[in-house]
Amino acid sequence: MFTRQISIAAPIFLIIYVIQESVISQFRLPGGGFSLLLIFAFTWAVLSETEVAAVIGFAAGFLMDLSQSTSGPFGQWTLLMLISGYAISYIGYGDDNVQANAIGIIFFVVIANLLVEIAYVATGALLGVSVGSFIQVLITLFGMSLWALLISPIVLPVFSRLHALVFDSRSTL
Amino acid sequence: MRNGGRARLLLVILMVTSLFLITLDLRGVKVIDNFKQGSQTIMSPFQRAGSVVLTPVKNFFSDVTHLGRTRNQIEKLKAENANLKQQLINRKNADVLLKQLKSILDLAGTAGYKVVNAKVISHGSSQSFSQTITIDSGTNAGIKKNMTVLSQYGIAGVVKDVYPNTALIQLASDPSFRIGARIAGTQQIGILNGRGTRSASLQLLDNSTTIKEGDVLLSRGSIANRPFVPGVPLGYVTGVDNSAGAVAQTATIRYYTNFSTLGVVAVVVTGSKSNPGDSLVPVKPRVKPIPTVTVFVTPSPTPTK
Repeated sequence: MFTRQISIAAPIFLIIYVIQESVISQFRLPGGGFSLLLIFAFTWAVLSETEVAAVIGFAAGFLMDLSQSTSGPFGQWTLLMLISGYAISYIGYGDDNVQANAIGIIFFVVIANLLVEIAYVATGALLGVSVGSFIQVLITLFGMSLWALLISPIVLPVFSRLHALVFDSRSTL
Repeated sequence: MRNGGRARLLLVILMVTSLFLITLDLRGVKVIDNFKQGSQTIMSPFQRAGSVVLTPVKNFFSDVTHLGRTRNQIEKLKAENANLKQQLINRKNADVLLKQLKSILDLAGTAGYKVVNAKVISHGSSQSFSQTITIDSGTNAGIKKNMTVLSQYGIAGVVKDVYPNTALIQLASDPSFRIGARIAGTQQIGILNGRGTRSASLQLLDNSTTIKEGDVLLSRGSIANRPFVPGVPLGYVTGVDNSAGAVAQTATIRYYTNFSTLGVVAVVVTGSKSNPGDSLVPVKPRVKPIPTVTVFVTPSPTPTK
């Protein structure tokens, strides 16, 4: 069962990663733009059990570490996404106020997006990664959160359906 | 509970894996670098394709995002473009003037004239049916009234009025312009009158002489080289009037000088010590043979239907 899910989920992750790297990264959007892979991973994480969410976070973080634009050490995103995925699922999974409500999912995704970026900056500072001036970091954090807030409602139905397809969920948004 | 324990175990394993990866990377293990390079190698064709496909869209979004800046840039580029166009026009104009000046100097040098070069700064209004130009040199440059004015091909006119820094030139095309002319080679003389256009009329003084089309006319010269120095090319005969009963033969002349394109002229301030004779007669252009290619077409053995 788990093998089947991974074999279906893996190409989806790769496609999202390719879209992120080949299409979305091409646009120099103001405020830092958005990461489709982050939104995708968090959407799936909030809809999944903690066990699955951890794996989703790990896979997404691993792909993000592979990205050429990542400046931190390999594994930094993997660790952060793993923890984030687990945490978001731990808080949100099973709560109908979150799962049955599109606004709740979007809220979780956006907040998780912001927190994981803050965590990246904080751990990056510990690991010696230069992230720019404080003001620039603030602008980027604000911009990325805003973009996530704009993009999440658009992609949520698609990601939700894909999650239902892979994990055989009975409810889709 | 059992499920929660398994999830925590998985979490711990994955966290250890992540930390292991971070440690390896920070220790500079090559495997991680190679892994990253490999993924980039796989991704690069997708990124290139994405870049090609998305360039118009990117440009559109860039224009929308930087609308004000783009507009300013367009305005700036427009101004720059206009400036460059103006420079190009000025350059073309300067090239033409330079070419004219070179020809004038060649002409004056061959004849041994001492000339003052001047730029045409205005063409006179033709409302009074006169043909004049104003040049940017005057008495300060040694120009005096009744001096011959040359163009690159020959006669341009005569100094009519002179001021400290400018001078008014009566063009040879002016209807009141008169100049003593002689036909190169035969030395027949006549009087050339302007007609208001590039063509002029020549009236020969001796009715026993004849002229023919293509004959070249030169100036006869005046006493003390004023108003006209001798030997200046005037034009060539384009038509001869042989009407019976005429006192003297007349001809239509086409000036060498194109008066509408005068950019620079030279005022002859001192004529040559000796008469240049026919040395200034323009050389006729040589016709270069154009190679022809003969194509032989062999008919096909079978007729087409």
